[in-house]
Amino acid sequence: MQNDSPWLRAFRGLAGAVLIVWLVLPLIPLAIWSFARGWFFPDILPKQWTLSAWEYALSDRAGVIDSLGLTIGISLAATVLSILVGVPAGRALGLYKFRGKELIELLILAPTIVPGIAVALGIHSVFITLGLNNTVGGVVLVHLVPTLPYMVLVMSGIFANYDPAFESQARSLGASWLKTFWYVTFPAILPGIIVGGLFAFLVSWSQYILTLLIGGGRVVTLPLLLFNFATSGRNDITGAIGIVYILPGIIILILTARHLSGRNGAVGGFGRI
Amino acid sequence: MTHVSLKDLTKVYPGSKVPSLDRLSLEIPTGELTALLGPSGCGKTTTMKMIAGLLTPTSGDVTFDDRSILREKPEHRGVVMVFQNYLLFPYMSVADNIGFGLKMRKVDKSEIDRRVGEMLDLVKLPDLGKRRPSELSGGQQQRVALARALIVQPKVLLLDEPLSNLDAHLRFEMRDLIRSLQQEMGITTIFVTHDQEEAVVLADKVALILDGRLCQYDHADVFYKRPANEAVARFFGGQNFIPGQSSGTAFDSALGQLALPQNAITGKGTLTFRPENVKIGPSQTNGLTAILEDRIYLGTQTRLRLRVGETMVEAIANPDEVGDFEVGGPVPIHLPPQALWVLQ
Amino acid sequence: MSDRLKIFLLLAPALTAIIVLFMGGLGIGLARSLNYMPVIGLVDPNFDAYVTVFTSQEFYLSFLLTLHISVTSTVLSSILAIGAALLLRRQFIGRAIINFLFQLNLTVPHLVGAIGILYLFSQSGSFARLAAEWGMISRPGDFPALVFDPYAIGIILQYVWKEVPFIGVILLANMQALGEDYESVARSLGANRWQAFRHVLLPLIFPGLLSASVMVFAFTFGAYEIPAILGPNYPAALPVLAYRKYTDVDLEARPEAMAMAIVIALLSALMIFLYVRISRRNIRS
Repeated sequence: MQNDSPWLRAFRGLAGAVLIVWLVLPLIPLAIWSFARGWFFPDILPKQWTLSAWEYALSDRAGVIDSLGLTIGISLAATVLSILVGVPAGRALGLYKFRGKELIELLILAPTIVPGIAVALGIHSVFITLGLNNTVGGVVLVHLVPTLPYMVLVMSGIFANYDPAFESQARSLGASWLKTFWYVTFPAILPGIIVGGLFAFLVSWSQYILTLLIGGGRVVTLPLLLFNFATSGRNDITGAIGIVYILPGIIILILTARHLSGRNGAVGGFGRI
Repeated sequence: MTHVSLKDLTKVYPGSKVPSLDRLSLEIPTGELTALLGPSGCGKTTTMKMIAGLLTPTSGDVTFDDRSILREKPEHRGVVMVFQNYLLFPYMSVADNIGFGLKMRKVDKSEIDRRVGEMLDLVKLPDLGKRRPSELSGGQQQRVALARALIVQPKVLLLDEPLSNLDAHLRFEMRDLIRSLQQEMGITTIFVTHDQEEAVVLADKVALILDGRLCQYDHADVFYKRPANEAVARFFGGQNFIPGQSSGTAFDSALGQLALPQNAITGKGTLTFRPENVKIGPSQTNGLTAILEDRIYLGTQTRLRLRVGETMVEAIANPDEVGDFEVGGPVPIHLPPQALWVLQ
Repeated sequence: MSDRLKIFLLLAPALTAIIVLFMGGLGIGLARSLNYMPVIGLVDPNFDAYVTVFTSQEFYLSFLLTLHISVTSTVLSSILAIGAALLLRRQFIGRAIINFLFQLNLTVPHLVGAIGILYLFSQSGSFARLAAEWGMISRPGDFPALVFDPYAIGIILQYVWKEVPFIGVILLANMQALGEDYESVARSLGANRWQAFRHVLLPLIFPGLLSASVMVFAFTFGAYEIPAILGPNYPAALPVLAYRKYTDVDLEARPEAMAMAIVIALLSALMIFLYVRISRRNIRS
């Protein structure tokens, strides 16, 4: 495009700077609190620094480490489950045209446009009937509701740009069904599985109300623990748990960042709803 | 009526050391249809975008009637660019697409409707105004893109590969349409193409750009008869290049001594002649005997690979003329002096 | 295998999950909101719970608050996200950092953002301390209430913080796929910068913007933990109110909670329907 005026460039630089500060800002007090001892108004920074919040958070009696493991386990399980269920559905929606397709798309995407609380209370009743309430399995299963739409969305976008003739070609060259999947289909859809899986993991990772209701307070994931400390006024421990809670997401992001660029069709798939 | 001139126009993209366009100077007279010809990536589209104001040149100038337009915003230049893939706005009807430029100028709705109707007639799509672009064929989309550009009565019209996305039978139809509209409205028109045939068929004059530099700017037939250098000749399908020595009237080379036309250069040079100008049959002037190495039948013509001594000569002939010759056997040929051209 | 059977088998697991969990949840919720629970002998459905909901003033106040939160957050986030995407499309210093921070922000759960906003904007938070440092206030109480406040400013700030990157990343992907040529055509046909944005780019990215902002609207309309951390006690946001009723010691309140959940779903659907209609008409004409 044409060169921009200096004013526009200055404005852009300023807007960028404001954006950077704003994006980081809410995380800063959390980090400071986790090292603070008695940080009272009107001190800008704590008078005394301490590791005691971290010592407590990482000790056995706080249950943070157990909870971290549990949360990772639940989110991984929910991700795997939504990949297993979502990839076939994405294939059907991305590759084929059929009667009633719009209705099925709407049905699968409905959880993203129906407020969570509206479904959560009903599901709780369903799970009580099925005996799944207060169990880890029940929590994993219920996390499928918010994660599956993202998975299907990403995968149907991937399959819409996928030519199944490659599979026919592989079969005609003598590859078995399984080998065809492993050597042809899987590599082609892997970027979608990574992006969809990342979304699914993060959505599951941040669930609060579904876990609270279905887990009935017995399945204590990190957000539940964090909420309890946040509402009980222990800002230092809240800060430490908050940091522990966001680290896995950041690590996963760094591991998968190259798949998230705009050029990966998976992210743009959101425009297709 | 606008005379366009480019003066040492140069573009170096940020982060690149090699200029995409290197000091291009070109005079495009009022109302002419000029082709910028060159392989992809040679800087043609870059040139058009700089004329249209969509890119800022690194250096050099673009003037319309001797007035620099570089400081003008794209929407004030009176230049419209039609992109290769048409880029009709997909969410608008055909009529809304055509009327877009007038709407941006805040022309009255009724006036827009009237002129859109006229344009639809002009490009011979009178009943398609309500359709969506996706419902049109490639040729129809091209016409809509053209109508959308012409309705604003631009001073200069820029076309990016205007015929390349069309089927063979549509190309001539579109060529006639573009030429007749352009002549009628007298709009100075520049188009870019990588296809020498497209350039020759459509343009008054052709500017050949290779590696970001202007190689030759002339009427189309000159590129075939008197190419400026070997690269130009090769771009236009030349295949015979024979080094040797010119005396001005004759050329000494591995083919022996051949008579030259008048005004040929003297000294060391390269002799070139087009494959279709190699004549089959014996002759007093410039007659040679060649061995037929290979022949490819192409339907309306036959390609011959000939060997004269150790020198290979490519020829194209009428299939009837060469029916009897066998591969490996001798073929009498001659090179009419007016078909020869010596390159420096 | 016929295509029909193939499609059915491919869709079966996902549909089963959605129908049992999601539709089942909604269905049971609906039944219970009507006091219909054959298991414990309630076989005569009635609208008592809905009558209670619709005759309570608190419900209307909660609804207005929630509507305000959702509309304001969605509109603000959408506008800012468009700006951010336009910014990130250009080459400039700091672009890579913002790109990374956008993606990083996507990984941070809402709950953490809410706590961060609480520590920044509460009356003893970082901004209040800065104000005290500069002598603008002397006691925490002098600092304007930005959390637990009736205008839900803290909640909206949190949503804007989280949703600008969400919508922005989607829009940026759309813009990069589109390239700049459509706008170039518009410019060359006589559109100025603003017109090229308004009449060409905006309609082109509209489908992505619409779906992303509908998701944001629905989320903000039904999220519990953010208003629970940052919101006022009375009136509470609808999800908070529904959860309170649901966990009330008085089991009689449960059908009321279910009724509220159903009303939230219906209202959200209605709002989304209106929003889609209005924005379609205004953007693509």
